[in-house]
Amino acid sequence: MNFIQRAVLYCFRQKRKTLILLLVLTAIGTLLLDSLAIRDASGNAAAGMRTAVGGKLILEIDTEGNYSLVGEDKWGANYVYNGDYITLPIIDAISKEEGVSGYNVEDSAAAYYAAVSFQYLPTNYNVNLTKYGDYGTFTACLSSERCSAFESGKYTLIDGRHIMPEDSHALLISKELADYNGLSVGDTVQLYDSYLDSEGRNPIVELKITGIFNGTEGTATGGEILADQLQANCGFLAYNTLFDVYAPEYKNGTEYSSVTIYVKDPAEIQNVYDKIKALPEIQGKTLKLSISNDDYQVVETPLEALKDSVTTTLIIITLTSFAVVTLLLTLWIRGRKREIGILLSIGKGKETIIFQFLTETFVVLVAALSLSILLSYFTAARVSTLLLPEIEGTALTVQVSADYLLPLCCISFFLVALSVITASWTVYRLKPKDILTKMS
Amino acid sequence: MSVLKCSGIRYAYDKKTTILKEMNAAFETGKMYAILGPSGCGKTTLLSLLGGLDEPDGGEITLDGKNINKNGLAHHRRCNVAFIFQSYNLIDYLTPAENVALTSTLPPLPLLEKVGLTQEEARRNVLKLSGGQQQRVAIARALASEAPILLADEPTGNLDEDTAAEIAAILKECAHQMKKCVIIVTHSNELAKQADVVFRLKKGELLQA
Repeated sequence: MNFIQRAVLYCFRQKRKTLILLLVLTAIGTLLLDSLAIRDASGNAAAGMRTAVGGKLILEIDTEGNYSLVGEDKWGANYVYNGDYITLPIIDAISKEEGVSGYNVEDSAAAYYAAVSFQYLPTNYNVNLTKYGDYGTFTACLSSERCSAFESGKYTLIDGRHIMPEDSHALLISKELADYNGLSVGDTVQLYDSYLDSEGRNPIVELKITGIFNGTEGTATGGEILADQLQANCGFLAYNTLFDVYAPEYKNGTEYSSVTIYVKDPAEIQNVYDKIKALPEIQGKTLKLSISNDDYQVVETPLEALKDSVTTTLIIITLTSFAVVTLLLTLWIRGRKREIGILLSIGKGKETIIFQFLTETFVVLVAALSLSILLSYFTAARVSTLLLPEIEGTALTVQVSADYLLPLCCISFFLVALSVITASWTVYRLKPKDILTKMS
Repeated sequence: MSVLKCSGIRYAYDKKTTILKEMNAAFETGKMYAILGPSGCGKTTLLSLLGGLDEPDGGEITLDGKNINKNGLAHHRRCNVAFIFQSYNLIDYLTPAENVALTSTLPPLPLLEKVGLTQEEARRNVLKLSGGQQQRVAIARALASEAPILLADEPTGNLDEDTAAEIAAILKECAHQMKKCVIIVTHSNELAKQADVVFRLKKGELLQA
C-alpha cells in the first residue's frame, strides 16, 4: 500500500479531523478570494474613476511681463499683450501626444446676445440694454461636453447633441428657455450682438439649436434683475462662431488664450505634462502649462486607502492562516507518533511519511478550494452590498474572477506544504527508536 | 541460511550509561531465540539495534556478512526485518487486511487466515479486535514483508495464558516451517521455553542460558 492510498484512506476514515480541516481551509480560501476580489474592485474603481474624472492640463498665455504700451487716451495708458497665443498647430501637436484624450476651450461670458426671434425668460425688471431688450450670456466652447457645467453634472444634455470643435453657429439652450419659446433641436434663432462686428456693425447672428440641456430648473432666486442673471437664459455656442462674426480673417489662424487638455489617466499626468512641455511647438513661446487634477485626488484617496487596507488584510489573513493550519497540523501530527513509529519500523522512509501527510492535506485542500470558489461567488456579492456600498459616488463591484484561481492555488499549496513540513519537523528530526520509545 | 551477527557492539544511553559492552552474538534463520533479562538491562535496545531503529556506538551488525547500514537502515527495516510489538502497533484507521498490505503486495487474506483470523475479522476496524487478534494481525503483517528476521518485543506481554501459548506456537511455526529467524525479547519464562536458544542479557553482556 503506497502513501497516496494511505492518505486517501486517512481522509475518508478520520472524518472529524478531515471535516475540521476542510472548514478551516474553506474559510481561509473564501477570505483570500474575497479579499483579492475587493482589492481588485477598489483598484478597478480607482482606474475607472481616473478615466471618468480625468486629469487636466491648462495651457494658457503667459501675461506676466508680456504687455506693451500701445498708446494713451483719455482713460489712460493702453497696454496690449504682445506674446504668443495658442494656435491650431500647437493644439494639433498636443492632441497627438500619447495619453491625451482631448482638449477644450471654454470661454464663459464670451458673447452677450439679445433675443430677436424669441423671448428670454422674464426677470423682475426690463432694463432694455439693447433695442431688442436685455441680453443673455453665452459660453463659447469647442466641446460643450467638456465644459465644467456638464462635466460636474450640473447640466445634462437631454435632446440633440453637444457642440463639437468643428461646429460653427451651433447653440445649446436650456429646456426652460426652449419650453418658454416652443423651440426644439434643429430650429434656427436670431440674436442681436451687442458688440460691433468686423465691419463695425451690431450684427444679427443666426444660430442653430443643436442641443437642449436641463439643470437650470429651480435655480432662480426671484431676485434677478437682468436677463442673464437667470441661468435658464444663458447657453453655450460654438467657439468658431466668434471668429465668423468678429474676425473672419483669423479663422484659419485661430488663436486661443487658454486651452484645457484632458489626460486619459491622471496617474500619468506628470508624464504627459513633461512630454507636452518638451514639444517644439511650445518651446520658447510665452505660454505656460499647469496641472489640474484636484477632482481626481478627492476620489482617488479613499479608493487607494481601501486598496492598501485590503492588501494589509490579505497579508494578515495569509500569515494567520499559515499559523492556524500549522498549529492544527502540529497537534494532529504529534498525535500520530504511533503511526509514524509503525511506518518507520516497517521500513517506510521519513520522506514518504511526510509525503503522506502532504497528500492528505492536499486532498482536503482541493475540496476546500472548490468550496471556496463556490462560496466566494455568493459572499463577494454580499460584500459588495453590505460592506462597500459607495465611495465618493463610486459603486464597487466585487466579483471573483477566474484569474484569482491560479494565484490562490499556488499560495494555498505553498502555505499548506510549508505548514505540513513545519508541523512534521519535530517528528522528522527524531530517531525512529526515540519515536517508538515515546510511543510506548 | 541467513546469519545476523553482532560483533563487539557497544551502546550507552546519552553516551554515559553503558548498556551493551563489546557484545557478540549470531542469530540464524530457522531458529527461535529468546532474550531474557531484568527491566532496563537493554533488551529492547538490542532489538532496536538489530532491527536498524538505532545505531550502535561501536562494533558492527552484519547480515550475511554485510553491514546492515550499507544501504541505509530504512532499507534494512524494509527488506530484512519485521517487528512485532507488545502493544501490537497497528494503524487504527486501517483494517487488518490493510495493515498487512502495508508491507507487501501479496494478498493479505490468506496470511490472516493462516494466523487464525476470519475474512469478516480481516475487514473489521482493528480497534474492535481482541488483543490476541490484534497480535495475530501484527504477526501476519510481519510475515507479509517476507523478511528473514522477525523481531518480537514482549509479543505476549498483554495476552492471557492461552492466547500467549497460541501466539508462541505461531512464532515457533514461523521459525521452523517458514525458516525465519525469530528473536523474542521477553520476561516470560513460558515463552522462553518454546525458543530453540535462550540468551540472558546481564550487565551489558549476552550469555547463552
